[in-house]
Amino acid sequence: MSRRHVETACLLGPALVVLALLFVVPLARLFSLAFTDPAGPFATFGVLAESAVYRQVMWNTFVVAVIVTALCVLLAWPVAYVLSRLEGVWFGLALYGVLFPFWISVLVRTFSWMLLLERNGPINRLLMATGITEASLALLFNNVGVLVGMIHVLLPYMILPLYGAMVRIDRRLLLASDGLGASLADTFRRIYLPLCVPGLAGGATFVFLLSLGFFITPALLGGSNAITLSMLIASFVNDRLAWSLAAAGSLALLAIVLVLMALTARLLPIERGLFAR
Amino acid sequence: MNRLPLPLRVSANAGASLVLAFLVLPILAVVPASFNKASFIYLPPRAWSGVWYERFLADPEWRTSLINSVEVATLATVIAVTLGTLAAIGLRRIDGRWRTLVTGLFLAPMIVPVIVTAVALYRSALDVGLSGTILGMSLGHAILALPFVVINVGIALRAVDDNWLRAAAGLGAGPWRIFRDVTLPNITPGIVGGAIFAFITSFDEVIIAVFMAGYASKTLPVKIWESIRLEFTPVIAVAATVMIALAIVLFALAQIFSRKTGSPSR
Repeated sequence: MSRRHVETACLLGPALVVLALLFVVPLARLFSLAFTDPAGPFATFGVLAESAVYRQVMWNTFVVAVIVTALCVLLAWPVAYVLSRLEGVWFGLALYGVLFPFWISVLVRTFSWMLLLERNGPINRLLMATGITEASLALLFNNVGVLVGMIHVLLPYMILPLYGAMVRIDRRLLLASDGLGASLADTFRRIYLPLCVPGLAGGATFVFLLSLGFFITPALLGGSNAITLSMLIASFVNDRLAWSLAAAGSLALLAIVLVLMALTARLLPIERGLFAR
Repeated sequence: MNRLPLPLRVSANAGASLVLAFLVLPILAVVPASFNKASFIYLPPRAWSGVWYERFLADPEWRTSLINSVEVATLATVIAVTLGTLAAIGLRRIDGRWRTLVTGLFLAPMIVPVIVTAVALYRSALDVGLSGTILGMSLGHAILALPFVVINVGIALRAVDDNWLRAAAGLGAGPWRIFRDVTLPNITPGIVGGAIFAFITSFDEVIIAVFMAGYASKTLPVKIWESIRLEFTPVIAVAATVMIALAIVLFALAQIFSRKTGSPSR
């Protein structure tokens, strides 16, 4: 080994050793517990797959993630578009509006929503005062609260990659399409939308994956009938001390995340999606 | 389509404004709630007072949790910045397949769901006796913060020309001298930016902290988490306002430093 190699090893070594000891080894040890059930090495996965309750939890997690992703795409679109056209002070202001929530603890933001969505909270009182609803609505401790809270946290992850794709679009392509007689809808469908796809796919994947593993918001805003996989894993550990089931659930969650990431990595370079933050 | 027709443009702007309002305004709801005079949370408060701030400062449990949070975040930041800066410099010196692999490994804590990392760390911490300790939480948070430091310092390093390093070596400087006099001054803004991210990542972190915290080592988010489930008083709004205030200060600092390097802010 040359001297340069020794130096490089000294630079990378400490972080790699710490990462191995505090991340890779603990994960491997946890996952190995999934195969230690007395009933057989794969019994835990059987329990998770066969129980109606657990299947319901998986289904709920999936449905919530799909709805959150779809609504994030819808809400992110106008913001990303306007960001891509704004300049100067207004651009800075709008961008801060997107970046600022990243800095506020998810716990604090979730707590804010608890205050706003309460039975007797300002949103319910506003709805009743304006006559939109007769009685106060149950907006908390069910999937409504979970969806609102999760969209609030995850929306910036959708806006930023989408904005990144939109701002890179060469306006001359749109002019050319217009000049050649295409209608606005045609230009959107055949030129603009396809050029947005990398940002759209990157953002949607990110939001979907984060939704699948989301914990704080569903745990506080969700009810006993809106349990997600991450809440189930936590309850295996804290309430039932069922480590092998917690391990199997964690392994399943990570496997889904990695498979979905590998699939989108074929569509676009994942690193770009990450650095777009 | 260079300019959208007026109705479409107006609705795009209106939609974007509404969504931005949805992103920013709800966060601030805790601030008026914290100045409530009543013993329960009501928005907007009918009478204002700072009594819950006094309650927050007088309660040893809340005070301790704030101190614990600062300790944990400081320790996590020191660990993540030291390891991450060295690693970012090291990453520049390897290429191809290895670089992709090692970068992927450094970014992995961002990709694995935190609940999975938290359960895994908790299990191992129980076995080695780190559960319930400040050190245990700091180490867990350092792992989460490491990717931010590697990314930030990595971006700052792009501004360092390899020829400068060769020139310094040619003039007889050793590796340490080259680092101190050439590399370090150029990447300092990146390191500071990474440190700010690392600090806020740890200070805001709930999931690992909830699993790892012991009776005497609760961080502020853990105390908030428990209080939300137990009592739900305006003191929680005070604690949340404290966290927002700190985040705003760090956000402003990060903006100043990112302007210096031109690195993208989070």
